[in-house]
Amino acid sequence: MLEFRQVTKAYATPQGPLEVLAGVDLTLAAGESLALMGESGSGKSTLLHLAAGLDLPDRGQVRVAGLAISSLGEAGRARLRRETLGLVFQQFHLVPSLSVRDNLRLQARLAGREDSAWTAELLERLGLTGLTKRYPEQLSGGQQQRLAIGRALAPRPALLLADEPTGNLDEGSADEVLELLLALVRDTGCALLMVTHSPRVAAPLDRCLHLTHGHLGQFRATRTPTP
Amino acid sequence: MLTALLTLLSHYRRHPGQLALLLLGLWVAGALWSGVQAINASARDSYARAEALFTTGLDRLERRDGKPLARADFVSLRRQGLAVSPLLEGTLVTALGERLTVIGIDPLTLPGDSAFATAGSPSASHPGELTAFFTPPWQTRLAPDTTPRLGLERQAAPGAEPALADGQRLPPLVLSPALPPDTLVVDIAVAARLLERGTTLSRLVTAAGELESAPAGYRLTRADTRVDPGELTASFHLNLTAMALLALIVGLFIVQAALGLALEQRLGLLRTLRALGVPGRTLVALLALELALLGLIGALAGIASGAWLASALLPDVAATLQSLYGAAVGVQLRLPWHYWLGGLGVTLGGLFVAGSGILWRAARLGVLGLGQAQAWRAGFQRQLRGQAIAGSLAALLALAVWTWLAAQPAGEGLVAGFVMIATMMLACALWLSPLLAAGLSGLGRLARPHPLTQWALADLQLQLPRLSLAMMALLIALSANLGVGSMVGGFRLTFLDWLDQRLTADLYLRPPVGQFDSVQEWLAARDEIAELLPTADGESTLLEVQDAAGRRTLQVPVSLFGITPGERLTPTWPLLETRAGREAAWTALEAGEAFINEQLALGQGIAPGERLVLRSPGGQERVTVAAIYPDYGNPRGEVLLATAALRERFAAAPGSLGIVLADTGTPGSRRAEALSRALDERFALGRDALRDQREVKALSTEIFERTFAITRALNALTLAVAALALLASLLAQARERRRRLAPLWALGVTRARLAGIQLAQLGGVSLLTGLAAVPLGIAITVCLVAVINVAAFGWRLPLHVFPAEIGLTLATAIGVALLAAGLPALTLWRTPPRTLLAEEEAT
Repeated sequence: MLEFRQVTKAYATPQGPLEVLAGVDLTLAAGESLALMGESGSGKSTLLHLAAGLDLPDRGQVRVAGLAISSLGEAGRARLRRETLGLVFQQFHLVPSLSVRDNLRLQARLAGREDSAWTAELLERLGLTGLTKRYPEQLSGGQQQRLAIGRALAPRPALLLADEPTGNLDEGSADEVLELLLALVRDTGCALLMVTHSPRVAAPLDRCLHLTHGHLGQFRATRTPTP
Repeated sequence: MLTALLTLLSHYRRHPGQLALLLLGLWVAGALWSGVQAINASARDSYARAEALFTTGLDRLERRDGKPLARADFVSLRRQGLAVSPLLEGTLVTALGERLTVIGIDPLTLPGDSAFATAGSPSASHPGELTAFFTPPWQTRLAPDTTPRLGLERQAAPGAEPALADGQRLPPLVLSPALPPDTLVVDIAVAARLLERGTTLSRLVTAAGELESAPAGYRLTRADTRVDPGELTASFHLNLTAMALLALIVGLFIVQAALGLALEQRLGLLRTLRALGVPGRTLVALLALELALLGLIGALAGIASGAWLASALLPDVAATLQSLYGAAVGVQLRLPWHYWLGGLGVTLGGLFVAGSGILWRAARLGVLGLGQAQAWRAGFQRQLRGQAIAGSLAALLALAVWTWLAAQPAGEGLVAGFVMIATMMLACALWLSPLLAAGLSGLGRLARPHPLTQWALADLQLQLPRLSLAMMALLIALSANLGVGSMVGGFRLTFLDWLDQRLTADLYLRPPVGQFDSVQEWLAARDEIAELLPTADGESTLLEVQDAAGRRTLQVPVSLFGITPGERLTPTWPLLETRAGREAAWTALEAGEAFINEQLALGQGIAPGERLVLRSPGGQERVTVAAIYPDYGNPRGEVLLATAALRERFAAAPGSLGIVLADTGTPGSRRAEALSRALDERFALGRDALRDQREVKALSTEIFERTFAITRALNALTLAVAALALLASLLAQARERRRRLAPLWALGVTRARLAGIQLAQLGGVSLLTGLAAVPLGIAITVCLVAVINVAAFGWRLPLHVFPAEIGLTLATAIGVALLAAGLPALTLWRTPPRTLLAEEEAT
């Protein structure tokens, strides 16, 4: 589902180029879940941006669902994000001017795959059924992140990319949101790449990878991938 | 992509104020622009109709002895085989008290290619209708927009026979769209009855060029010696258009500020949409579509309001054009289809110019940069550099145009003058933000020992990207206001002085031509009169100018005017340039030489000492130019001679009689009253025939004030639009500002002080903008009086700078800023402190 081959990425800084990723190799199979851990500035978010086609590698190749990101144009990458990927951000990035229901349906509608039964099920499972007419600012942090997860999963993506999805939540809400996220990922059968600081959040995932100064470190299998 | 478009538009559902500002900007810009265009279109339509009427395209005959024309003249000339046609013209008062011009014609003798025969009347295609025109019950032809003056709806007008104030009824009405407004055309027999004129005629006309010379005893005035109203008023309309363009630009500043803000606040949304798979190009296309949709709504509202504004201003404009140029303009709007389309095109075009920068910046931002306001603002530094460079280029262009204009003869380059003003304003507007940024940064360094002041300056720098557009709009509006205000103020001062200098007699009388000499003789014999200043006027053509270098052949129609030099007139009559001094000039005038007005001198490049060859009834007359005099408000070139010489050499008709009263110790008003009574008893001139000098001055001043009423109104509206732009910018960022102020409150600064800081910040930056507007405003005044005025009207005004006007500009700048900052400051002052912190935490 996701493949990094000798991927290198550097940014220009006043002190000269700063290499964020240095020859990263990574593979994520369909239905597999992977936690990506590392210190701040270790390149986790860059790796996630490359996986989402939000940025391009300097060298090496990133393939998503068999497609090389670098060979796709801007429109191709946008299409890939729309139809194949789901993104969950630490800051939620909900659309403040849309209601809960419209936020949830947004990506599915953009992808032309709205499934009202699935939307209703998501609303129910995310505990948002009674809040559909509210606006994001009227929700708690946990509810906002659940809504963001619902939005990402509404078009049934093949790969879900989550950037610190519980980073902005208190412990209780974080556990609740994580549990829900993993259950939905399992039920939809999509692959999951999650960036996190927390070993506790990484623990339930199939694999965990450490990124240190742009190099992928040892990884451990936590459990067998669920088909 | 409907979902993405609706998602983008949903922003305005949550921020209706922003949508309102955007539409308001478009509406105001569109309304002012299209309002003026509607006035221009209606006036042009009136000119075109007046020009097409028989009165302007035909040569005229008048009696040389000054007596009124009568039916006998027509019969006698026809018997001589001359193809003349009679016209009877007068004014009728309707039952509603409205005054309308009535023209009586003889359709059978009227030259066949006149507008009435071809366009104004359907007679060409239906010969029967021509018979209906001059046989009972006759017809009254009028333009559809004249019917309301008769108290009739357009639909109800055909066939109606409305009553007049004196109880008479008009013949059945027939609509003729090609006729000018406020004009009724009837058969000459009907006109004679309605006007109770018996057998007198107003004019005898012939086809242009039909007669080679005037028949014996008559004076011929060629059609080409009369200037058509459209030509005369072109500069007036150009000035109006320039003002409207200014308002449009200032309005578009609001639009750009609102658009920039709407986009900046949606950067996160754009990033989210990109992350959700909407391609960047699609987003830019959707933003453009949004722009077009909003533009269409705003522009249509603006154009509709513009038409309303025009209909409200048109009566004043019509009165101005009538009094200034004698041009009849209908007070009802007549808008051609291209007015609507043109208004839409200009407003939408302006919107896309205003929005293109925003779209370009949005298109250039990378998807990862979209969410970061810093990425957006980092562009501001680059933008400042760009603005400074573009401002320098605009200044160079202004300099180039000025150099070019300096090489042109005086009176040339009206459009170039406007281009110079526009580029100057653009250069200053573009330089404003870099200068403000540099100034604030310098002040910030100086304020280091005062933390709160330092913070306030640093905070102002952060606000600058959002305030800069509003400040540019304010600079443009203030400088235009100062420039035009000083020009009008200077003109007013000069004009009033000039009136004082020229209107020197105590009383003025315009006796009928036939009685002129006997009235003059009678007045001259009276003890209470110290001096009489008779005038005369006529028309001629300037055929040749002879100077030391040779001779130039011309064909320029000029007015002739006769004055009587004397104790009262000579010392005050203003002269701009003389051949050999003021005293020598007056001696020369009395000896038969001439003065010419500034318009003629500048327009034809004539200097004192040169000789003019003028067409006269006897062939040609040669006069030497002894001096040049100012002649404000006259659109035509004029040659001035002593009255006696003018009447003798050019057979000019007598004009008015200026009466200087002797000092007898009795109050002037009582002497004037007694004289008026005596005149009426002796000559039956009517009690109001004698006019007081103050009355004439008051009338002239009123005309002057009315002329600039529209300019002042547009100027004030432009300033109001700029204030709105500032308010829009401040309101839009009020919430974010409160968040920024919250930590200061937490650190112990009171809300009242914070509100005060806000007011001081904006008041200070507006004062700086006002200070920048002062030199620009003065430069605009210089351009207006030295270039635009000379090119548009033919005379130069002395430059006046009014310290009070400058003070007013600075006060306006601060006032506008405080007014705009007042509401956000009040909101801040009223916000409970806890809310401030809650807003801060929510970010």
